[in-house]
Amino acid sequence: MTGEAETTPENPERRSFLATAAMTGGLVAGYGTFAMMAGRYLYPAHPADTSWLFVQDLRSLKAGDSLVYRTPAGATVAVARLGSAGTDADFLALSSTCPHLGCQVHWESQNNRFFCPCHNGAFDPSGKAIAGPPADAGQSLLRYPLKVENGLLYIRVPVEKLSDAARDFEQAVAAAGAAGCAGCPRRGNA
Amino acid sequence: MNRVFGWFKERLPVSGEQLRELTNEPVPNHLKLWWFCLGGTPAYLFVVQIVTGILLAFYYQPSPSAAYDSVRYITEEAAYGWFLRGIHKWGATLMVAAVVLHQMRVYFTGAYRKPREINWMVGMLLLLSTLVIGFTGYSLVYEQLSYWGATVASNLMDAVPLVGGFLKRMLLAGDSYNPRTPPRFFVLHAAVLPVTMILLLMVHIMIIRLQGVTEFKVPGETMIKKKYFNFFPDHLLTELLIGLFLMVLLSTLATIFPVTMGPRADPLATPEVIKPEWYFYVAFRWLKLLPLGVAVLSTGFIVFVFLAWPFIDAWIRRRKPESEASVWIGLAGVCVIVALTVWEAVVQH
Repeated sequence: MTGEAETTPENPERRSFLATAAMTGGLVAGYGTFAMMAGRYLYPAHPADTSWLFVQDLRSLKAGDSLVYRTPAGATVAVARLGSAGTDADFLALSSTCPHLGCQVHWESQNNRFFCPCHNGAFDPSGKAIAGPPADAGQSLLRYPLKVENGLLYIRVPVEKLSDAARDFEQAVAAAGAAGCAGCPRRGNA
Repeated sequence: MNRVFGWFKERLPVSGEQLRELTNEPVPNHLKLWWFCLGGTPAYLFVVQIVTGILLAFYYQPSPSAAYDSVRYITEEAAYGWFLRGIHKWGATLMVAAVVLHQMRVYFTGAYRKPREINWMVGMLLLLSTLVIGFTGYSLVYEQLSYWGATVASNLMDAVPLVGGFLKRMLLAGDSYNPRTPPRFFVLHAAVLPVTMILLLMVHIMIIRLQGVTEFKVPGETMIKKKYFNFFPDHLLTELLIGLFLMVLLSTLATIFPVTMGPRADPLATPEVIKPEWYFYVAFRWLKLLPLGVAVLSTGFIVFVFLAWPFIDAWIRRRKPESEASVWIGLAGVCVIVALTVWEAVVQH
């Protein structure tokens, strides 16, 4: 009889349990959905796509020459020609972003190395870390893929859609350059 | 006048006795020593930061193309903008110093011990929040330090196991600094962190009220006849006096050492010499000394030890009840922090 009483709909304990469960479920579902939507809203859409972009005509870049290339996303890349076979193996494209914590490295000709001023990282001309935290962690400068087609050199880099916000950023970068960035590299694809 | 009071009394049924009980927390006599008033100092400075921060936000524009010029406008063109920005900047510096000193006072007097472990952890969260709000603050100016500081910090996050990549993308709104990054720093600095800190402060003060102020036997106590004095008005007057002193100090600093504009952020060139604010010197030097993964994990471990210190200390004291280990460990910690800070301050790289 007791068991019967417990399962009848009129049982106040069962009613109370169901009401609590429904309320909890409703709150979790409602606020949980909102939290999921807020999280998805805040999390950036997706990493930038990559694409092959033109760098230079092979004839205007002799063995031993180098240039600084800027990607559409604003990163700078040091492109050097080491050989004269006319294939992509002749070239080296090194990111100027330090793999340690993302500062910009610069070339020190007197020491024949790239140097990062943030935490004293140093890299040899091939991008291999030789001193500082990047050397301890075995981090080298990122190499971008290159290809040669019809005598033209191409590089594979991240590209971004030019939204209003991106144009805003471009203007800020341009303003920084105009404000006195000595030897500022030119725009990609130029 | 009586009618006005009567009108309010009908609608707010609080008696004078209840108000007295609410404000007349008996305060131990050692709070007459200035060293023990350091808790009120950051609270006062926090209010100064909120007031000046709201005023600065009237002109600040969080976007890469406008941020620097809006701060320059505040500093160079808006009436008294240089003064308000100076108060905000120096207020941040003093607030970090005051929170650190307060935490040190609590540590070295053992005021974190049972039953105050939870309040120690709330205090530690307030200290961490203060450091993060300081960092997000100087990231807003879009100077070289702002840009490269944000870049380094986000890449540091990336090195945190499991969640690092997610946190970095959430902070930057992308894989690297981009046009959607400054608004995130602004929202963190001006909304998320202040609200978090207000909530933590409420819990902090509530726990103090529930547990009462820690009592110590301090040198000279016998010379003071009364053991307790009233929070209102006696201790509040002390705090107001400290507030007055801080306002004079802040005004003096903002006038004699006014804030200026550093070089505009250049995403293409990291400056040859770059340093964060002084309170991050220790972390900056630590990063130079150790490989990234080790530096990040060891920093996380040190923060964890700080947070859990009341329990670690209790464990030590259960084994050696008269142990002074906490004092020696604390002194060693202070020496290491000061040494790394001074080291970073005196060298270029």
